[in-house]
Amino acid sequence: MYSYIIRRLLLSVVTLLAVLTLVFFLVRIVPGDPAQVILGDHATQQAIEALRNRLGLNQPLYQQYWDFVSNALVGDWGVSMVKGTPVFDEIVRVLPLTIELTVVALAIGIVVGVPLGTWAAVRRNRLADYAIRVVSLLGLSFPAFVSAILLLLIFSIQLAWFPVISFAGTGLGNHFRSLVLPALSLGLIMAAYVTRVTRSSMLEALGQDYVRTAKAKGVPASEIIWRHTLRNALIPIVTVVGLFLGVQIGNSVLTEIVFNRPGLGKLIIGALSQRDYTMLQGLMVVYTFIVVIVNIITDLTYGLIDPRVKYE
Amino acid sequence: MKKFLITTMAAAFAAVSFASSLLAEEKTTLVVGIGFQDANNLDPHQSPSVVDKALFNWMFNGLVRIKPGQANPEFIEPDLAQSWASNADGTEWTFNLREGVQCHHGYGELTSDDIVYSINRAADPDRSGFAGSFKALKSIEALDKYTVRVSLKNPIPSLLGLLSNYHGGNIVCKKAAEEMGEDFNKKPVGTGPFMFEEYQSQQLVRLKANDDYFRGKPKIREIVYRYIPSDASRDLAFASGEVDMIFGKQDSKWIERTAKVPGAVVAVMEPAELSTLYLNVTVKPLDDIRVRKAIAHAIDRAGLVKLKGKAANREAKSIVPIGYLGFSEDVPLLPYDPDKARKLLTEAGYPDGITIKTIHTTLPIMATTMEVVQAQLRESGINLEIEPVEHATFHSKIREDLSPVVHYAAARFPVADVYLTNFFHSRSTVNTPTAITNFSHCSAADAEIDAARAEPDVNKQKALWQTAQEKIMADVCGIPMIEALQVWAYKDNLDLGYELKGNLNLAPTLTEASHFKN
Repeated sequence: MYSYIIRRLLLSVVTLLAVLTLVFFLVRIVPGDPAQVILGDHATQQAIEALRNRLGLNQPLYQQYWDFVSNALVGDWGVSMVKGTPVFDEIVRVLPLTIELTVVALAIGIVVGVPLGTWAAVRRNRLADYAIRVVSLLGLSFPAFVSAILLLLIFSIQLAWFPVISFAGTGLGNHFRSLVLPALSLGLIMAAYVTRVTRSSMLEALGQDYVRTAKAKGVPASEIIWRHTLRNALIPIVTVVGLFLGVQIGNSVLTEIVFNRPGLGKLIIGALSQRDYTMLQGLMVVYTFIVVIVNIITDLTYGLIDPRVKYE
Repeated sequence: MKKFLITTMAAAFAAVSFASSLLAEEKTTLVVGIGFQDANNLDPHQSPSVVDKALFNWMFNGLVRIKPGQANPEFIEPDLAQSWASNADGTEWTFNLREGVQCHHGYGELTSDDIVYSINRAADPDRSGFAGSFKALKSIEALDKYTVRVSLKNPIPSLLGLLSNYHGGNIVCKKAAEEMGEDFNKKPVGTGPFMFEEYQSQQLVRLKANDDYFRGKPKIREIVYRYIPSDASRDLAFASGEVDMIFGKQDSKWIERTAKVPGAVVAVMEPAELSTLYLNVTVKPLDDIRVRKAIAHAIDRAGLVKLKGKAANREAKSIVPIGYLGFSEDVPLLPYDPDKARKLLTEAGYPDGITIKTIHTTLPIMATTMEVVQAQLRESGINLEIEPVEHATFHSKIREDLSPVVHYAAARFPVADVYLTNFFHSRSTVNTPTAITNFSHCSAADAEIDAARAEPDVNKQKALWQTAQEKIMADVCGIPMIEALQVWAYKDNLDLGYELKGNLNLAPTLTEASHFKN
C-alpha cells in the first residue's frame, strides 16, 4: 500500500508540473495587465512601463517561465505582484480557514445526508421517502449564493444570532459564530447530494440476495441496514463525496464572498481581477494539490470499506 | 434559601448594570464597508483606485486642502502650508509650512525636506502613477526648514490643486518612505488625523487616531475599513448595525431602499463621474462626421437619467463634467432626434443603417448604461454590437485601440485642462508612447488645450477652454451622456463635523471633529 501511495504522489508531481505550465501561460494569454490595474486609468504609458519593468513583466516569456519553475521547485513561489508579500505566506494564512469550512461542511453533509438517504431507501415510495426526495431536490436546485443570502436574512437580520460579516480568526467565540452560517450554507447543499446518492445506492444494496437471506435468518432490520447494507452501499457514496470535495472548494468561493470570510476563494477572485499572475499560479498549484490528495484519500478509503480492494 | 435568592438577584442586577454601562460607553470606533475585494495599493502615490483613496484622505495631508465636505478647488485652504505666494506669471511659488507637524509612528517633525522629497517622489514615473500631472514641475527646493519653493517650466491651471490632499499631492514622510522603500505601501506614514495600524488582506485596514494631529486629537479613536465585495452582504451588514458607513450604488432603487433602514442617512455627493461615448474618428464608418452626428442624435440623455434614476444621476452638458473650472454649458450639444439621425445616416450613404462594435466591461453599473444606449441607437437604425469582457480585460483592450466605440466613465481633478488633456489631446491617443485615455484619436483642439494650460489670464484661459469644448463637440469626438454622483450611507448617530457636499477622494472625509452622538 505504501508503494501505491508513493507511486500516486510521484504521478501527482507530473500533474502539478503540467498544471503549473498551463496556468503560467493561460494567465498571461488572458488580456489585462497587472501594472495597468495597479496604476489605474490616470497612469501614463511611461509609468506603466516602469512598473512592468519592476514586476519583471518585460522579460522574455521563456525567461519568466524558467525563473518561475526553477524557483517553484525549490519551494519559492515568488511574491504577489500586487501586494509584494510572499505568495506562500498569503496562501498559508487563509488555507486553514478554507479547509476548516470545507471539512465542517463535509461533516454536515455526511451526518445529515447518509441517515436521510438510508431512511428514504428503507421507506421507499412512502411519505418519508417522498418528503426527503423533494427536500433534497430543493437543496440541489438552490444556488449557493441564494441560500447564503436567505440564511443571512433569517439568522443574522431577523434573529440576530450570527454576524453578517465573518470575524474568523478573532477569538474562539467569534470564530465559531462566524463559521456556522457559511458551513451550513455549503453543508446543506452537500447533504442534498449525499442524500440522493445514499438513497439510490442503498436501494440497490437492499435488493441483493444476502439481504433476503439475512431477513430469512431473522437478523434484526436495524442490523441488516446499518451493518450489512450500508457498508456495501458506501463505495459510491465515498466516490461522490470525494469528487464533491473538489467542487466544494470551488463553491467556497461564493460562500466566502457572501459571508466575507477570508479564504482561498476570496484570494483567487481578488488575484483574478487584479491580474496578480504570481498569486494565481500559487493558488492553482494549491488547488491541484488538494484535489490530488483528496483523490488519493478517496482511493484509500475504498480499501477500508471493502477488504476485497487491493492496492498493487 | 431567602439569602440565596437575594444574593442571586443582587448578582444578576450587578451583571445587568455592568452590561448596560458597557453599552452606554461612548462609541468611538467607526466601521466602514467598502465594495471592493481588497486594497489595490496603499501607497498614495501609486494608486488612484476608489478603494484606497478614502484611506489616503484620512491618513495624509497636502500642502493645501480642499475644505472638508467640498469637492471644488475654489474651497482650497491651508493644510501643511500656512500661507503661500507666487510670482506674477505663476511659475514660482513659495509655501510657508506649519511648524510642529508630526509624522505618524514617531517619524519626527515634518519639514521642508519631507515636502521636497514627497513632491519629487510623486513626480517620478518610477515611483508614482501620477507623474504625468507633474510634467510642468521644474524644481522644488527647501529654502529653510519651513519654506519650500516650487518652480514651474510654465504656468499651469491649478498648481494649488495639484498640491492639495489628492493623488500626488498627498505628502509622505521622507524618513519612513526611504526606510521602507517599496514596502511603504505596507505601512504608509503621513501626518493626517488617522494613522495606519494594521492590514489584513481581503479583510480590513485598521487606522488609529493620531493624538499628535496638528488640528487636535481626533474624537473617533479607531476606523475599521472592511472590504465587503458582495453588495448584498454589505447592505445586510449595514442593516444589522455591524457597519456604520457603506459605499453605496448610483442607483435610485438602492438609495430608496437604504434610506428606509432605521437610522440611515444616504449621502449623494460630488464629484460626478461623466459617462461619455468616445468615437474613434479614424476608422470607418466613424471617420464620417455625419455618422458620428447621427449617433449623437440617437442618444436620449433624459431617457438614460430616467432609467438610472434622478437621485444620483443627471444629464451631461459638455465633454467636460459640470462644475469643473472651465466647464461651459454653451457648447453644441446635439439633441435627441432619431429622425435627424436616420437622415444623416442616409446622407452618409447608409440608408439601411450601420453596425458598429464596442468592447465593453461587464461591470454592472456601466453595462446597464450601455444596454440602454444600445436600445436607443437601434431606434435610429444603428446596430451596436457589444463584446462583453471582464473589467481588467476591458481596460487593457481599449488601451490597445481595439474598440472603435469606447464607453468610459470618469471623474478627474475638477479643472477642464485635466479632462481635455487626458481624453482629447492627440498626445494622449491610446496605443502611442505618450498614451493616456484619448480613445477617439481626437485632435480637434490641441492648440487651445495647450494654450489654455500656459495662459496666466484666467478669463482668457476660460475662453480657450470654451473654444476647445466647442471644437471637440463640433467634431463629435465624444458624446457626453450622463453624470453619476457618489453615493454613501451612514448611521445618523455619526456627526461628520462638517456639511457633506462632496470629496474628490470619493468618500466622506473624516476629520478630528467627526464623532458619534451618544
